[in-house]
Amino acid sequence: MALLDALPSPQMAWRQWRPNSVLVVLLSVMLVALWLFDVVSVSPNRIVSGQGAGLVEAMGWLGALLVSGVTITLMLLSLQPGRQNYQVALVGVCLLLLLMPFGLIVASDRLVSSDMPQARLNMGMAYWLMLSLLLLCWIELRLRLALPRRWTVLMLLGVALVWWLCAMWALEALALGQEFRARNDEFWRALRQHITLVSVSVAISIGLGLSLAMLMRRYANFQKVAFGVLNFLQTIPSIALFGLMLGPLAWLAAQWPLLSRLGVSGIGWAPALLALVAYSLLPMVRNTYIALEQVSPETLEAARGMGMRNSQRFWQVRLPLALPVLLEGIRITSVQAIGLTAVAALIGAGGLGAFIFQGLGQAAMDMVLLGALPILILALIADAGLGALSDILRPKNTVRPGDAQ
Amino acid sequence: MSHDALSRSLTARGVQQAKWPAIWLVLLMACVWGFPYADGLLRIIEPDSSQVVYQRASLATLLVQHMLVVSAAAVITVVGGVLAAIVVTREWGRNFLPLVSQVASLGQTFPPVAVLALAVPALGFGTLPIIVALVLYGTLPIVRNTLGGLQDVDKEVKSASVAMGMTSWQTLRQVELPLAAPVILAGIRTSITINISTAAIGATVGASNLGDPIIAGIVNGNMAYIVQGALTIALLALTVDSLFERLQERLRSRLYTA
Repeated sequence: MALLDALPSPQMAWRQWRPNSVLVVLLSVMLVALWLFDVVSVSPNRIVSGQGAGLVEAMGWLGALLVSGVTITLMLLSLQPGRQNYQVALVGVCLLLLLMPFGLIVASDRLVSSDMPQARLNMGMAYWLMLSLLLLCWIELRLRLALPRRWTVLMLLGVALVWWLCAMWALEALALGQEFRARNDEFWRALRQHITLVSVSVAISIGLGLSLAMLMRRYANFQKVAFGVLNFLQTIPSIALFGLMLGPLAWLAAQWPLLSRLGVSGIGWAPALLALVAYSLLPMVRNTYIALEQVSPETLEAARGMGMRNSQRFWQVRLPLALPVLLEGIRITSVQAIGLTAVAALIGAGGLGAFIFQGLGQAAMDMVLLGALPILILALIADAGLGALSDILRPKNTVRPGDAQ
Repeated sequence: MSHDALSRSLTARGVQQAKWPAIWLVLLMACVWGFPYADGLLRIIEPDSSQVVYQRASLATLLVQHMLVVSAAAVITVVGGVLAAIVVTREWGRNFLPLVSQVASLGQTFPPVAVLALAVPALGFGTLPIIVALVLYGTLPIVRNTLGGLQDVDKEVKSASVAMGMTSWQTLRQVELPLAAPVILAGIRTSITINISTAAIGATVGASNLGDPIIAGIVNGNMAYIVQGALTIALLALTVDSLFERLQERLRSRLYTA
């Protein structure tokens, strides 16, 4: 076989021409969407639905040609892939991502007249499609170039910063920005509440998960029962679990005045925290258990041979070796908790979910976005950040264990 | 262990397992038909409310609607997920493999509530947004398991099938898919079980299903309503999960005895 490979073959000439079909497909879909769908829409006020505007209408011929030109250049680059071309393409994708908020500024300049102070600019179908397709291209390029995760996280944060600055200083008409300015204090308070609830519940479930997993390793019977209970908890829908905490906690608070003075009651943070911890325990315990079990017996034997005591072996050998998988569990738990905390708004725990449910109630979609987008971004940040951390902590020459679920 | 003994032990275990779906199903039916008459029982949980039995819609109707939503999402995820995984493991689709596996794992990062909320402006209130959210949330386990299952098929087995003169379509249908089936089925099981309980949040955007009693209970502070919705959903999830377990058991025993 090796000899065959070494021989020159007549097919080589066209075989080397392998376009990256992924990028070509993504970029062509983007180009078609840009010209077919509405890029932005303008509505006279908060409730009335908007009037759509296409690419040329929103950005003028110059802008439309500029965007299409960059896209076509990227497509040409991906026809002849190579490390250098991929790097250029990555710069191009970042450039497009950076240009997107400026496109909005141009559109608001052209479409929103100054005599309509209530007018709002909404991002249209094509705009969202372009954003998601560009991010897909970016993921593809990252994978092809095999860039480490932390770099790319930093790059995306840079892009996000530019977006943020544009939205704050130059885009008065953007609906999302208006909604944000109207609820500035409320937003930051909700964000703080959200993050606090998530981090406290994750911290508690790390502690509880570690102790439960250690108990499970000692008592085999306990393991069966505990996994059974945790699995059953997981089948109860999250909103029901939040709801089911209402009664018992209200009763407890009524029985012990001390608890109610601490802020424990049927609604609010206390039931939310309990339900979050209950829901987070299964992924946490499962991953902790797997993490501690997968440490190879030979390594532990070697540690014993070196004269380490039991506690030393646990803290200096087993735990550090288990850390990457353990972090994987923390990542899954945190991402899940960020989403679940949104549901906790239903029982008055606050957080960003409050915007979602208020907005849904008032049919004010900008407000829904104001709640949902930050939750999405928080989840992505937690995912990428903790993922990068476990990459760093993973010993160099071990294989990445298959996604332990 | 000889093949015969193995298959016998598998069937013996199979018989033992067979009772679980039946038990859960009986309990589920007892919940659905029994709650309207369980006034006294529910009053223990909620002594102060004037009404403890959820009466805005019958639990049976809600159960059917719940199952419809979950099955619609399941059909889309199973067909889409398995097809995508098959395409990216073929020679001509291999280019897409890294992106698809990356995106599939990203899908579960999106919280279903956020997806639901984002889908409402585009699709309006009702059943459609919750189906979108479930599809996005349920795709990862199916794609991941199908990819894993197909990639784990022994290279030599595939070469053997090619050597026997099978076309690539025949290899896929008669060799790769049957060998990967248990793993794929495990993915489908995870996806559907998760989605049965996730579907309840659809009630917040006007999709009427078993989440309705739960939301009504939270809004009115009525624990009895919540218990009715939650217990029915949990039992539905357990029934479906144990059915899948049976199915996996049968598939495995067929693979071993064949």
